[in-house]
Amino acid sequence: MSPTLQSLPFFQDSYELRIAQLQEERKRGIKVIGTFCLYVPDEIIFASGADRIVLCGGRADTIPVAEQSLPRNICPLIKSSFGAVIDACCGGSLACPHIPLIDVVVAEATCDGKKKMYELLTDYLPTYVLDLPQKPGSPEAREYFLSEIRKFARFMEQLTGNIITDEALRREIRSSNATKRLLHRLFALRKSDPSPIRGSEVLRVMQKQFFLSPDMFRKGISLLCDELEHVVSSGNTGPRIMISGCPMAAGNTKVPDIIEQKGGVIVVEESCTGTRSFLDLVDEDVDPWKALAERYLEIPCACMTPNDQRIARIVELAKEYNVRGVVYYTLQFCHAYNIERLRVQKALKKEGIPLLAIESDYGESDTEQIGIRVEAFLEMIA
Amino acid sequence: MISAGIDAGAATTKGVLFRDNTIMGYRIADTGFNFLTASETIFSILLESYSIRREEIGHVYATGYGRSSISFADKSVSEITAHAKGVSFLFPGVQGIIDVGGQDSKVIVVENGRVVDFLMNDKCAAGTGKFLEYTAKALEVPISDLGELARVSDHRAAITSMCTVFAESEVISLRARGFLKEDIAAGLIRSIAQRVAVMAKRMGLKENIAFVGGVAKNAGMRAALEKELGVPLYVPFEPQITGALGAAIAAQG
Ligand code: SF4
Ligand code: SF4
Repeated sequence: MSPTLQSLPFFQDSYELRIAQLQEERKRGIKVIGTFCLYVPDEIIFASGADRIVLCGGRADTIPVAEQSLPRNICPLIKSSFGAVIDACCGGSLACPHIPLIDVVVAEATCDGKKKMYELLTDYLPTYVLDLPQKPGSPEAREYFLSEIRKFARFMEQLTGNIITDEALRREIRSSNATKRLLHRLFALRKSDPSPIRGSEVLRVMQKQFFLSPDMFRKGISLLCDELEHVVSSGNTGPRIMISGCPMAAGNTKVPDIIEQKGGVIVVEESCTGTRSFLDLVDEDVDPWKALAERYLEIPCACMTPNDQRIARIVELAKEYNVRGVVYYTLQFCHAYNIERLRVQKALKKEGIPLLAIESDYGESDTEQIGIRVEAFLEMIA
Repeated sequence: MISAGIDAGAATTKGVLFRDNTIMGYRIADTGFNFLTASETIFSILLESYSIRREEIGHVYATGYGRSSISFADKSVSEITAHAKGVSFLFPGVQGIIDVGGQDSKVIVVENGRVVDFLMNDKCAAGTGKFLEYTAKALEVPISDLGELARVSDHRAAITSMCTVFAESEVISLRARGFLKEDIAAGLIRSIAQRVAVMAKRMGLKENIAFVGGVAKNAGMRAALEKELGVPLYVPFEPQITGALGAAIAAQG
């Protein structure tokens, strides 16, 4: 067991303050944007003077509500998110505290499930959809995405009544790069063996990344890094594991918890609640719009094709963090990540790195079965 | 030194005693409701049958679904590791293991007795003994006869549902349409063999494959699986005990 880290409660405490802050901002007429995906550039939202909070659902209890409208066989993240919205809008008791704070949802055309869910969402909340080229590698795709984010910026300007100046955008790019650099620092600390912090703890921190204001989040990460630099013996000596795959939205910590209860130590996550959110910085030295378009299309999400950078990056990260094995985590019915598994598996196999595939939902019924697989995997790589 | 391995499975509990690099003896019994009681019973039956005192046993290792409940065991190992050890003991040089039990099925890739990869199906009854159990019931034949029955068929019926519940109704409708029992049985055996073979191929198994678990006792099932994979399969004299055997071997230290 690692010693209790003093800086971890900061994140939970700030979260409560944050909700109060957003309520207060709304009273002052500041617009609050709800988002569901890394592809929506925060920099543009902040540069327009608006604020934002993520709405991705990781809770199981809102799923039955969603299933009254959505098919059952879609990804639990989509169902959980949608359930939270309709529950909150219909005066339900499950109360996702974020929904009443939202003026507009800024959605994105990523996977089919989310895209079609957003259409239903418009009955409950005003929703703007950012389009994305699905084959992002070409100059034309970048051109197109550039026009999309400019359009989005105009939408934000109309919503807030503020003009987004290049200067404001540059400021926000610097701010988000600062956050990313801090996360680089945090993750670099995990490269030491044993890692000073467990992955299930880092995940709970990363889940707050898009809830807290950037200032608060950075403050928390700095405190955490300062503390971790002084951890002498963490006791996290089990086999080093990397997680790769679907996002784990707040409320969903099942698989990492199982892995670490069974003695594994997660040292890096290739996911939207891990490296995908911060690894690439936005170029501060070129035209800010172009830099944003470039950086955002580099996000290695399985919704895109081909997704070679993701495969290469997974192998790179596995080596860099010196992991013994990779747990490929997918949400049930997430076709993009489920199908991409085979390519990841093959690439890792070439490097002699074993992979365990776990597909799960938000329920508890498979906890035991996942435990059995994880134990066998840990024995195998020990 | 004598060691013991207990495999606390969801349906059956198996126990093996191991000494001087040989199997001293084994027992198999239904698990019933309580993993611990079933394991204690198996263990004391083993001790009694071979006139051994508890003190003569060095270590007891547990494996299987209920392994964490076996409080008298010194240590537990996962089924994957246990099967690999047990099967590699019986068939040195084995490269793949297909285990089809009552509740789950797994495919294990082995290299020099070590697990290098594995795949488990335990979420769904398709491709497990449960599939045979339910569909045999719908056919009104004892599960043990299903394999033999299938062998006399020369017009195999096509079973298209992988899902146990749907396959059960498919059997009923095939019966209503006048299909012969043996042809339906052959269809069922083929269906599960295909499902399991897909798992094995996905793991890249080619030859030197052992087939274990309760379902491996079924000769018709074994023949069908050999046909799907195109290679002969090694089946131990008692296919249900390889997990317990592996645990007992691990307990030798
Ligand atoms: S996995 Fe893809 S679609 Fe989902 S949040 Fe991440 S970038 Fe967006
Ligand atoms: S996890 Fe997969 S299916 Fe679910 S929202 Fe993300 S991309 Fe879509």
